[in-house]
Amino acid sequence: MTRVVVSGLGVVSPYGTGAKTFWTGLASGTCAIRPLTAIDTEGFRSRIGAEVPADVLASLGPSRRRARADRLALAAAREALADADLSSTDRACAGLFVGAVGGGMLEAEAWYWEETRTGRPSPRIGALRAVLPSTHAETLSFRLGLCGPKETVVMACASGAASLALGLDLIRSGAAPLALCGGVDALTRVCFMGFNALRLLDLEPCRPFDRDRKGMSIGEGAAFVVLEEAGHCRERGGRAYAELRGAGMTTDAHHVTSPEPSADGMVRAIEDALTAAGRAPGDVGYVNAHGTGTPQNDRVEALALARVFGPGRVLLSSTKSLVGHTMAAAGSLEAVASVLTLQHGLVPPTANLRVTDPDVPFDCVPETARAVEVDAVLSNSFGFGGQNVSLVFGR
Amino acid sequence: MTQKEILDELKAIIVERLKFDPRRAAEMTADTTLPKGIEGSLGLDSLDFIELSVAMEERFGIVIDEGQDLADEFRSLDSLSRWILSKTA
Amino acid sequence: MSASRRVVVTGMGSVSAGGIGGTAVVARILADAARPIGPVRAFETAGWPSRLGAEVDDAALEGLLDPAAARRLSRICRLTVAACRLAVEDAGVPRGPALGLVVGTEHGDFRSSEEFVTGYLKRGPSGLSPMIFPNTVMNSMAAVAAIEIGARGPSVTVNQATVAGDLAVARAAALVRDGRALAVVAGGVDEMLAHVYRRLSEMGMLSPAAGRGREGCRPYEPEHNGVVLGEGATFLVLEDLESARARGAVIHAEIRSAAWGNVPVAPHTAPRRRRDLHSPALRALVSAGVAPSGVGTCYGSGNGDPALDDWELGLLAADRLPAPRSLASRFGQHGGLGALRVAAAALDGLNKVAPSPTTLVMAHGLARGGCRTALLIDRAA
Repeated sequence: MTRVVVSGLGVVSPYGTGAKTFWTGLASGTCAIRPLTAIDTEGFRSRIGAEVPADVLASLGPSRRRARADRLALAAAREALADADLSSTDRACAGLFVGAVGGGMLEAEAWYWEETRTGRPSPRIGALRAVLPSTHAETLSFRLGLCGPKETVVMACASGAASLALGLDLIRSGAAPLALCGGVDALTRVCFMGFNALRLLDLEPCRPFDRDRKGMSIGEGAAFVVLEEAGHCRERGGRAYAELRGAGMTTDAHHVTSPEPSADGMVRAIEDALTAAGRAPGDVGYVNAHGTGTPQNDRVEALALARVFGPGRVLLSSTKSLVGHTMAAAGSLEAVASVLTLQHGLVPPTANLRVTDPDVPFDCVPETARAVEVDAVLSNSFGFGGQNVSLVFGR
Repeated sequence: MTQKEILDELKAIIVERLKFDPRRAAEMTADTTLPKGIEGSLGLDSLDFIELSVAMEERFGIVIDEGQDLADEFRSLDSLSRWILSKTA
Repeated sequence: MSASRRVVVTGMGSVSAGGIGGTAVVARILADAARPIGPVRAFETAGWPSRLGAEVDDAALEGLLDPAAARRLSRICRLTVAACRLAVEDAGVPRGPALGLVVGTEHGDFRSSEEFVTGYLKRGPSGLSPMIFPNTVMNSMAAVAAIEIGARGPSVTVNQATVAGDLAVARAAALVRDGRALAVVAGGVDEMLAHVYRRLSEMGMLSPAAGRGREGCRPYEPEHNGVVLGEGATFLVLEDLESARARGAVIHAEIRSAAWGNVPVAPHTAPRRRRDLHSPALRALVSAGVAPSGVGTCYGSGNGDPALDDWELGLLAADRLPAPRSLASRFGQHGGLGALRVAAAALDGLNKVAPSPTTLVMAHGLARGGCRTALLIDRAA
C-alpha cells in the first residue's frame, strides 16, 4: 500500500498566522472564543465566537478587495507549500482539494444587506463573483500554479477532513505524487444567524464533553497540508511530519441536522479508517474528537468511541473548545493538531471542561495539555447532514 | 386571545413555516397530534419543533426555554394551545 | 487507479427540461430533436436583454414526490431527490453502506439562502427560519437524497462552474475504483433562479452578449454569443463491474477512465490560446491504453460562451480528439448537463442504423478558470 506523508503545514487560526502560533495556542490551552466584532450580533442570543483578529487579517497582504475567506485560504496554502519546500515542477503536478462551505458569503451578504436596506442597486455586487465555495480553488490553483486535479468539496463540518481523505486516495491511486488539501471558512452572518436560530450555540464558550454543556461556538480559519507519496518526499529531501495512514467516509442517511442515535455511521467511518490504516483500536493513543459541545453530538460521538475502543481506553479532547467550530476548516485544522500531537508528544486539552458528562466515559484531558507519546491519532469530523469522515495519522 | 384563536394561529404557522398543505391544515382539529412516532400524527421531528418554537415565540410574544421538557405540551394542538394560553394570560 | 476494478454504468435518472425518467426516457430525450429552450416562465424577464431558458415542468416534478415526505424539501432538493430515486430504481442497485452519492452543482440552493436572510432583514432575529438554515449549506441536496435512497457510503458534494456534473461522475468513478463504494449515484443539479439569471446577464455571460445577434445557444458555431441557462437534475449509477454482474444488473457502458485537472489561468477567464501541458484527456487515454484516434465521438461542455467554446476547441484539437458536439443547445447550461453528457456518451450509438467504427466516446469538460475533465466511455461493455 502506497505510503502517504504530511510534508507541509499551513494555518491561519483565531490565534494568528502560522502552524507554530496555532500549536502554541493549543498547547497552552488558550480559549480563543470571545465577543464577535467582525459582524453585527445585536439581538442574537449567542454573540461570541473565535475570530481571526483584525490585525492578523490586515497582515495577510494588501488585497483588501479579496474576500476574507480567500485571504485566509491563500495565506494558509502558501505557508503549507513553502513549509514543504516544493519546487514549481512539484507544484505543477499537485492535486488541489479544498473543503469549503461559506465561500465569499460574508462579502455577498454585505451587498445584499445594502441593496435590501436602501432599495437601490449596490456597487458591492462585485462580491458575487467570489461567492461560490469553488472560488478558493480557483484563486489557489491560479496563484500557486497548480495543474493537478482541482476539486471543491462541500460537506458541511466534514469538508476539511474530506479534502485530506480525497487527497490520500488520489496519491494512492497513482494519479499524482502530491496534493494540497485543506479547508477554509470565514465568519458569515448566515452561519452565525443559522446556528443561533437552531439553538445550537452556547451563550458562553463551548464546553465539549462537559456534563453542563449547552452548545457549540462558531469560529473561522484555514488550514492546508501537503500530502505526498513517501518515496517522492524522501527522494527530494522533504520532511515528513507524520503519515496519513487511512481515512473513512460514511453517511448516516438519517436526518438533515441530527446525528444517528446509534452512532452506526460514525462507528463505520472510524473502523474504515482504522482498517485502511492497518491499525487496531488499541494502537490509537489519542482521539481528536469532532467534539462540538452540543448535547447531541458529544453524546453520540462518545457512544461511537465507546463502541470502537471500549470505555476509558483512549484519550480524547476537542480542539473546538479552543478555536471554536471553524466549519469547513475544522477537519483540516484538527488534522494539523493531530499531526503536531504526534510530533510533540503532547495532547492538547479540552478547555472549559469542569465536570465530564457521565455519558462520556473517557479522560478528555481537561484544561491542561498532557505529555503522552502516542503512535497513532484518530481525528473525527462528523458533519451536518450525517457526513462522517475519520482520519488516522501515524508517526 | 382565546384558545380557539390560538389554535387557528397555530394552524397558520403549520402551513407557513412547516410547509404543510393548507387543505390538510383545514382538516386539523384540537385533537390532532404532533410528534413523530404517534400514529396519525403530523409526524413532526426535532427540526420541526425548533421551527415551531421560533414561530410561536414571534407570533405570541412568549419565550420558550428549550432546556425544559415540553413533550406533554407539544403533544397535540389542544395541549399546545392551552399551554400558550397559560403563558399569554 | 486500481487496475483490478472496472466501473460501469447501470442506471440513470433525469429530471430536465427535456423530460423525466430513467434510461429509456433519457435515451429517447437525447435522440429527440426537440429543443426545450424557450421563454422563461418562472420569473419576469421583461426589459432584460435575455429571456430564454430550459425549464423543468413543475407539475411533472411535483407528481414524482410524496407531498408529506417532500414537505420540507426546497425545490432544488426535490429535483435532486426525484432524479436520484429514478436512477436507483432504474438500476435496481441495493441501498446501504456500499452505496455512495456524489452531487455536483454550480449555484446550489441559492433560493433558500435568500429566503433565510430575507427573514432576518424583514423581521429581525425572530424572523429567521431554523428549518431553512441547513439548505444554505451546499451539501443539503446530498444529505436529503442520501436519506431518500439509503446511501450510507461516502456522500460528496462538489461545487464547480460549468462542469459540476462531469466532475461528480469522475469523482464517483474514483470512489468505486478506490474501493470506497461498490456503487455510487453521481450527477449534477441546478435550478433556474431570477437573481442568478439577472446577475449573469449583467455580467455579459448570457446570449445575446453585448446585445449582438439573435438570442440562442449555438455552441462552437461562429455566431455563438453567450450562454442560455437551463435547470434540472441528472444522475447515473456507477458500479463496480464484478458487483454489477453478480447481481445481474443491466450494464449500459463502461467508464474506462476518468481524469480531471487544471490549467492554471486567472479565475473566470478562458484564454483561447493557452495550452494544457498536463491534459487530463490525454491522461485518460493513456490510462485506458487508447490512442486519440481510437475515440469515435466527443461530447464537449462548450455552451455558447465564445471564449470557452474556442478554448475547448483548441485544447481538443491539440490532443487530436474529434470535434465535440454539445448538449447545451438542447438543455441549457446547468449542473446536470455534465451528467447528461456522460449519459449521452454511455448511450451513444444506440438506435443508430450505422454503427460507428469505434465504441469509445469521450465526455470532455472545460470551465473558465481552467478546471478540465475527461471521461472515456466504452459502449461495448
